[in-house]
Amino acid sequence: MMSTEITETIKVNNKEGTEATYQFLATLKELKKDGQLTRWIDDHDILLYEYEGEIKAISNVCRHFGGPVGYHKCKKGVFTCLWHNWQYSAKDGSCLTHSGLPLRQYDIKVIDEKIYINLLG
Amino acid sequence: MKNVTLTLKCEGEMDCPKEIVMWNYYDHEHLVGTHYKYYNQARVLAEKDSWALVYRKMKMPLLPFHCSGIALQLMENNVMKTFHKDSIGFLLEMEVHFKDLPNNRSHMTVIYNINTHPFFKVFQSMFQKLFQGWFHATWVEDAPMRLRRWKVHNLGFKDFYGIDYINKKLPKPGKIEVKKYEFNPPIKSFSAINTKDGLERPFDESVELGYRD
Repeated sequence: MMSTEITETIKVNNKEGTEATYQFLATLKELKKDGQLTRWIDDHDILLYEYEGEIKAISNVCRHFGGPVGYHKCKKGVFTCLWHNWQYSAKDGSCLTHSGLPLRQYDIKVIDEKIYINLLG
Repeated sequence: MKNVTLTLKCEGEMDCPKEIVMWNYYDHEHLVGTHYKYYNQARVLAEKDSWALVYRKMKMPLLPFHCSGIALQLMENNVMKTFHKDSIGFLLEMEVHFKDLPNNRSHMTVIYNINTHPFFKVFQSMFQKLFQGWFHATWVEDAPMRLRRWKVHNLGFKDFYGIDYINKKLPKPGKIEVKKYEFNPPIKSFSAINTKDGLERPFDESVELGYRD
């Protein structure tokens, strides 16, 4: 049986004046439930969370062996990967256990209670 | 009197090549990560090529106390053998047989044996219940780890680096060159597991939000 996945996208003009595509990631209501969630979009595993009142998105793929960074709920601003306990800062995705291996940050937009992500931003 | 052997055979299949499962079984660091509910501490005492001598402290399901012991773990082609001497005095011999199946699937057979005094023959069913529970508990935690490892491998993931197009904020390439997954022990590590301190689990409790793979 074939299935069709419809992804909601929006076009937004960036500060540089170029147009960027944002894809729907989650609703604010979904994020509020636990304060963080993970979701795969187009082969990007994304960790979405709220940190000090700001909504942020980073890669959920640990730079070590590819483990799930957001498996455990963030504690005191630190994510601990399930597999081998590598730790990352919720502030900016920097790696606290192995400096120089940060998680990639994504640009997001919140419009009408919906959170959109730019996979190239 | 002749010794008796308490024995149990367990089997399972995975939707990934056997080398991924070998990596998972041989990975000492994930004991206090993936299996943080059971393992308190792990330390590699010595390691070379296809063998490792490891100290572990853990709590098995059903047992009301912690166990610790030394294990020699070695790979011989498609078999991983572990000789685990625990603090009580039992020698557990474990064999994991890895077999590839079609379509990047694999089949594993795990055999647990304890050769001991004949008095312990009455504990055969308890031994089986205990290790069946142990096999199941660890398999359930390891299965998503193996599947995710295979998934990111197919996206071009490189150890200690990540996925190139994600790191560089580039569009995903139309075609990703994926090499055959190879398992070549020892597993590279920069953690304290090879030091006198070993690795300890960072917390006892966690709010688990889980995988979304």
